[in-house]
Amino acid sequence: MLRASAAAEEAGVPSVSLTCEGFIGQAATTATGLGLPSLPVAIVPGHVDVQTVDELRANVFGVTVEGVVQGLTAAPEKASELVEPEPGEVVFEGTPDEINRFFYENGWSDGLPIVPPTAARVEAFLRHTDRDADEELGVLLPDRRSATVRTVAINGVMAGCRPEYMPVLVALIEAMADPRYGVEHSGNTPGAETLIIVNGPIIRRLGFNYQQGALRDGFQANTSIGRFWRLYLRNVAGFLPHKTDKGTFGNTWRVVLAENEDALTRMDWTTIAQDQGRAPGESAVTISRFTGGTVLASVFGTRPEQMIPYLADGIARLVAWEVIFTVGMSVGAQRPLLVLSPILAQTLARAGLSKQDVQRQLFEHARIPASRFERYMSGWTNLLPGRPTLHALVARGRAAPVFAESDDPERLVPVVEKAEDIMIAVSGDPLRTNAYVFAHNGILGYTTTKPVRLPAR
Amino acid sequence: MEALWVVLPTGQRASGEWIDDTLRRRAQEAGLLARTPLAGKFPRHRVEVVRAADGVEEVNALFEARGWTDGLPITPPTLPRVEAMCATTVRAPSDVLGEVEPLRGEATVEKIAANAVMAGCRPEYFPVVLAAVEAVLDPAFNMRGVQTTDENVAPLLIVSGPLAARLGINAGFGALGPGWRANAAIGRAVRLVMLNLGGGWPGAVSLAGLGQPGRYTLCLAEREDGPWPALHVELGYRPEQSTVTVLRAETAINVTGGLAEVASVMASAASAFTMLYEGRVAVVVAPFVARRLADEGWSKDDVRRWLHAEARVPVAAWQSWWLRATARQWPGWVTEASGTLPVLREPGDITVVVAGADLAIPQLAYFPSWGFPPCRITREIAAPIDLIG
Repeated sequence: MLRASAAAEEAGVPSVSLTCEGFIGQAATTATGLGLPSLPVAIVPGHVDVQTVDELRANVFGVTVEGVVQGLTAAPEKASELVEPEPGEVVFEGTPDEINRFFYENGWSDGLPIVPPTAARVEAFLRHTDRDADEELGVLLPDRRSATVRTVAINGVMAGCRPEYMPVLVALIEAMADPRYGVEHSGNTPGAETLIIVNGPIIRRLGFNYQQGALRDGFQANTSIGRFWRLYLRNVAGFLPHKTDKGTFGNTWRVVLAENEDALTRMDWTTIAQDQGRAPGESAVTISRFTGGTVLASVFGTRPEQMIPYLADGIARLVAWEVIFTVGMSVGAQRPLLVLSPILAQTLARAGLSKQDVQRQLFEHARIPASRFERYMSGWTNLLPGRPTLHALVARGRAAPVFAESDDPERLVPVVEKAEDIMIAVSGDPLRTNAYVFAHNGILGYTTTKPVRLPAR
Repeated sequence: MEALWVVLPTGQRASGEWIDDTLRRRAQEAGLLARTPLAGKFPRHRVEVVRAADGVEEVNALFEARGWTDGLPITPPTLPRVEAMCATTVRAPSDVLGEVEPLRGEATVEKIAANAVMAGCRPEYFPVVLAAVEAVLDPAFNMRGVQTTDENVAPLLIVSGPLAARLGINAGFGALGPGWRANAAIGRAVRLVMLNLGGGWPGAVSLAGLGQPGRYTLCLAEREDGPWPALHVELGYRPEQSTVTVLRAETAINVTGGLAEVASVMASAASAFTMLYEGRVAVVVAPFVARRLADEGWSKDDVRRWLHAEARVPVAAWQSWWLRATARQWPGWVTEASGTLPVLREPGDITVVVAGADLAIPQLAYFPSWGFPPCRITREIAAPIDLIG
């Protein structure tokens, strides 16, 4: 909302953002991050979703209207600059226990002990990149803070990373800063969490686990880099629970997923990085924000026609309200992820299927009745204003034609726009027939891939 | 070396700015930096570690130089003390009660707790402080006006209900001080919030020419043994509830005697502002006087009506006041009066409270008011969690 107001103000149009009561603090911080700290907001008491028309009317006329008038007519106050420590400044000296307490009390840690980011440790990390410590990888909302290579090293140290992880960390923050990813949405209320997927020779080089327990903690590269991601969101982007991070529940950061590239090579399947346009043999990180996931246990059968319906059902039942990223809010941006254990992928490959064939079959099978699809986007929810039907969205160009092929409300429609929107990774216990499926948060954390560049030395 | 982990008590805006940067500039312009040489000079964190041989001494020296005290020594707002304060309320430490005008530091529960610790509050006083801060953040209090006016107005806190006695908020001998920690610390906590979160620094932001002792603390409780319904019951609360009521008070004027003397003081302290803006004043009645009036059949309403009728000034006097010509929109009850006119719009603008010592030489008090809009704000006090039964 604030971002729309900022765009309007930049175009010279005065604005007021109608903001539900619980979001006032976030609005102020976001406005500052947008460079318009005096952007006016008008409070709507409570939350509109649970108010009757009469209650909402009383609240708007009793409270909100005055804020709108005030916001459009009063001269905003002049803003002043925030003061922050200089790059490389020593902010604290003390014992490791004191350092941990100090970082925690000042909101710089996630509650677990951190490795103190001493000058020597940060320096060791910086030796593992050719990039200058002060180079800016991007500017991150909501705090609009500069994402420098130095702050990557500092948060890497704190998260428990090893110095040689530095090229991966730099690539991750380049991905975070890519406008296609949309880091500024990271504080939205569904509270989805990013999954990092690693590909290429860097997997073996840094010792990522890609076998049994691929998403379990216990492996330094997978675990600490996952933690680094969230520490960077906290300390540099500025997402703090009770302030700018309004995730209703949220969940903890995800352990990094590395693909089993040995298995993929044997099957002649492409990797996630290759699907994303990277060259074979190139190391890369892919980030994508997922609302949640579930395991599909004991996939039974020897032939694709026995296996595909269960895998497709997993996708179809997990992508629920998230269909608003398939149509409506962002057309064709829903990219669920199916992680197959190697033995499942190999069984499909043995039947002659490429990854793309599997995607096509899943696309055909992962379908739900149109009436159910419409309830997710505008019946049980109010996620798409005006409660449009799929036919109306197709007519407006906000949905692909496949969603309006008949008038039958029980016709089956896909949950993604095209077959290739279903991402498939191969990882996990090589000899167990389980799969994992994630539903995606669309443009609010869109799938983004960056190469990992090793230092020349 | 001692290490004190202190929560910084100063105001941060929702946008992240610290009000001290503005205050340093204002103090510099006003030539007042000698009072606060370290204004704006502090680590921009939630918590600072102060190391010194005598930590309490060092925190006091630092805070005074940064402009974070009222001039008296403070209790360092260490993490355990602030946490103990916050533990008395169900509200989260990050909850924002509002922005404190005029510099708009956010009044979070934790920031208020840090100031309450500094003021000397015991943890169980904290719900009273929270209710009082809520009250002064009500737009009707006009915090911006109170903080920036050239008048010497201060918030007057009146605690009513059973919590007053349980917390030891004095309503009897010396209710306006000194001597009782609750009265002293609760009023002082509200002042520190106004200074440290609102930025009401004297001379730099607050232009009150003289100030007044009530700007250190001005807090009393109402006696529970008075002959009339308690203030909070009059205002519609149940007897078992407790409330804090806030008025804007120019000063406390001592009155020895009875109602006639109060009316006389009300007339001589008549304020053009109060007539213009429907000001609301307070009268503290000594128990001896209250009991005698009640015995003669007087209700609180009778007292208010009588004071309103008797406290009058000559119309000629009003006509000679400078505000008479400056202000345009005088209410009809002023312009249409002939001969004499009352000093208040109506009897209901008088808050009557029974407090003070039960002596036959009764000491009463009159609190004239200042400013606009009409202000008598009451908030219920939540019972402190786990500290008293």
